[in-house]
Amino acid sequence: MTDAVPLPLVVKDLSFQYHTRSTPAIQNIHLTLEPGQIMLLAGSSGCGKTTLMRCINGLIPHSYTGEMTGDVLIHGQSVHGMGLSQISTHIGTLLQDPERQILGTYVLNEVCFGLESQGMSYMEMLPKAYKALERLHILHLKDKETFFTSGGEKQKVALAGVLAMEPDILLLDEPLASLDPASAHEALLAFRELADEGLSVMIVEHRVEDVLAIHPEKVLYMDDGKIIYNGDAAGVMDAVDYSRIKLPAPVIARRAKSHPAPHFQPTVPKIDPQSQPLVSFQNVRFQYKEDTPEVLHGINLDIRAGEVIAILGHNGCGKTTTVKHALGLLKPTSGKVLLEGVDSKKSTVATSAKTIGYVFQSPSQMLFAATVREELAYGPKNLKFSPQQVEDNVNWAIETVHLEEELPTPPLALSFGQQKRVSIASVLSMRSRVLMMDEPTAGQDYWNYQSFMSTILQTPGFDAIVFITHDLDLALIFANRVVVLYGGEIVADGHPQDILQDEEKLNKWRLLPTSLLKLNQQLWPKTGQYLCAEALSQFI
Amino acid sequence: MLVAWNYRYRNSPMDHIDPRARFIFSFAVLFSATTTWNPNILFAVFLIAITWYSLGRLTWKDTRLGWFMISIMLFTMIVVNTIITGGGAGGVVPPGGQLVWPDGVLIFGKHLNLGLTVERLWFAVSQLMRILSISLVFIMIPYTMDSRAYGVTFSKLGLPDRLAYTMELSFRFIPTLARNFQVTLDAQRARGFELDAGKGNIIQKIRQVAPLLIPVTMNAIVSSEDIANAMDLRGFGQRKRTWLYQLKFQWWDWAIIAFSILMLATTLLLAYRFDMRLFSVPHWWYGLFN
Repeated sequence: MTDAVPLPLVVKDLSFQYHTRSTPAIQNIHLTLEPGQIMLLAGSSGCGKTTLMRCINGLIPHSYTGEMTGDVLIHGQSVHGMGLSQISTHIGTLLQDPERQILGTYVLNEVCFGLESQGMSYMEMLPKAYKALERLHILHLKDKETFFTSGGEKQKVALAGVLAMEPDILLLDEPLASLDPASAHEALLAFRELADEGLSVMIVEHRVEDVLAIHPEKVLYMDDGKIIYNGDAAGVMDAVDYSRIKLPAPVIARRAKSHPAPHFQPTVPKIDPQSQPLVSFQNVRFQYKEDTPEVLHGINLDIRAGEVIAILGHNGCGKTTTVKHALGLLKPTSGKVLLEGVDSKKSTVATSAKTIGYVFQSPSQMLFAATVREELAYGPKNLKFSPQQVEDNVNWAIETVHLEEELPTPPLALSFGQQKRVSIASVLSMRSRVLMMDEPTAGQDYWNYQSFMSTILQTPGFDAIVFITHDLDLALIFANRVVVLYGGEIVADGHPQDILQDEEKLNKWRLLPTSLLKLNQQLWPKTGQYLCAEALSQFI
Repeated sequence: MLVAWNYRYRNSPMDHIDPRARFIFSFAVLFSATTTWNPNILFAVFLIAITWYSLGRLTWKDTRLGWFMISIMLFTMIVVNTIITGGGAGGVVPPGGQLVWPDGVLIFGKHLNLGLTVERLWFAVSQLMRILSISLVFIMIPYTMDSRAYGVTFSKLGLPDRLAYTMELSFRFIPTLARNFQVTLDAQRARGFELDAGKGNIIQKIRQVAPLLIPVTMNAIVSSEDIANAMDLRGFGQRKRTWLYQLKFQWWDWAIIAFSILMLATTLLLAYRFDMRLFSVPHWWYGLFN
């Protein structure tokens, strides 16, 4: 009789509490992962998903200290006796932010980093690196500098670096966070393919609906450090709070039927097509340096009061570059950007900040204050608001992002998701006429981003709102105008229902139709407008 | 994310020199220039450094930021420390000497006795040659060396893997810091930040730049942890490392190494065997001030 082969991953009664925290981050976690299985790990921000991953890949206790009980077994061997390097031969980890993971200056070097560490010869490592790049369809990037790759490309490059090491367990921490819909779909198909080849894959992801499309064998739902649900994908549809994670729209609509539909009424003023544009792009062309390719090819765009504009487009199409022009952070190589009629070349960014509040993608590069309250007060103070106005704005902004209890906390001590919300609030508190947000929902859980987006749009004070997003649902629920960029050009501009109805074009622009879009199109004769899944329940 | 220096291939002679030979040559210049104060030797080293720099075919536009930083250092060391205060010449230039302006000078209607000597002025020239020689050979490295070559170069020069990779990361730290600073500056400008150096006392000025310095510093600290984690998660340090980037010596690389050794040996020989390491002022220099 032969002994049973140990499972690739077993987590036994695992609990962990960070030294800096007074409560455990995870408690009594049990799970097993078999070869060829995909496990989706879902839950709202701060539920302990990332801590669990750190316990599995060895970053806890090697890099993060605390009290750990229970065990993690990799192929039957406890991680307690293993070094990080030894764990890395079995477990490949893709971190949430690829910029934190990429070490090589060129793509091929980055992909080969792990193989170099394993002492492979040039001739051994090259085929493995090429195979990983080909699998993710980015072989054409091999000689590109990693710094100049787009957000989505970086994610793929980081993943290729992990895959090249041929691990048997893959841990993916929000791998879709910065990918456009088509890239996310391609990445998910690649994960499925890897699992089908025998890899064990654990995916931590807020975009639950997207992951369900590749039929994960197991779904875990965590809340407050504990596993609430551990079962198959079908069971999770009814087992968890549908407002907490993003389930398929028909499921939400079915389950929300017995609850009152959320009321959503944006407060931006009515659009007056004859009014002077707040921001006007006039044939804007831009290149970062003389010897680099042009990024924007003749952008023409007017932003008027009353507009809620969603800017969509594939990774690297120039969305952020376009928006940065509005504030004057970048100046056009040719053409003009007018802010309330004034050429951006003739005004300073600080002056423009009175009109445009711009939320950057990365929160850690702006947070500095000793408390969240001070952080939120910084912008309004710079704009010379009265102390009472500052106080009122801070209170309003913090309520909007649901972080009232964190006002005395140092912003840098918060989680990434919370830091993102503080960075948004710190711009909201300036009460600028136009609010521009770059990927406001990245790293946010479903409930949080739905909630603060609807709060922002229902709060009086903004003349116009512009947001960059990869989330098509966000655009169709909240925007009254959609601008699609493709390869540095505006290829579509209009009402969401006009732009998003052509599935063929959406696919071409790398924006895939979602279940919410399909349900909205199906119910269009009854609704006459695009609605969120909860509101659609009343029409089924 | 770590950023690389702004290197681009120019098909210059420097692009064809093995980085190991380049580092050996650069350190030979460094040691030669710091071994002696003899004007003739320093001048010869200076000429060699200029010739070496010209092999990179760098333009002023490419390197102006680097030279700006060096100019600040040169101004501090030479103008302030050597010419104005004379502190930098202590222990090298003998006390006393011939005054450049024996009768003093009239500045803004005031008569001043500066005490600047001809010897101290020559010391400033010597120091300028020394620092420029070193700067010329080292400043060109980031602009003319492929970012993929650093780690393997240090490793093949005999450093352990950890140290070799640390050296590579150190080279990338400066452009990374510059990039992070720019992002933070943009983010704070978007919140109405304006750098107004003219306002307030020193404490107020520090408070004013805190929104820039704190995120940049915190990011640098957090990034170093991230880098360590990312390296560990990919098995760094587990065994002897190999490198994708391949280096291969050509005959001219051997010639450069031989020349480097010869240059350093000659300098050491002249300095210690023929006693040419001490500071001295050429006669023609005195002639300029008589």
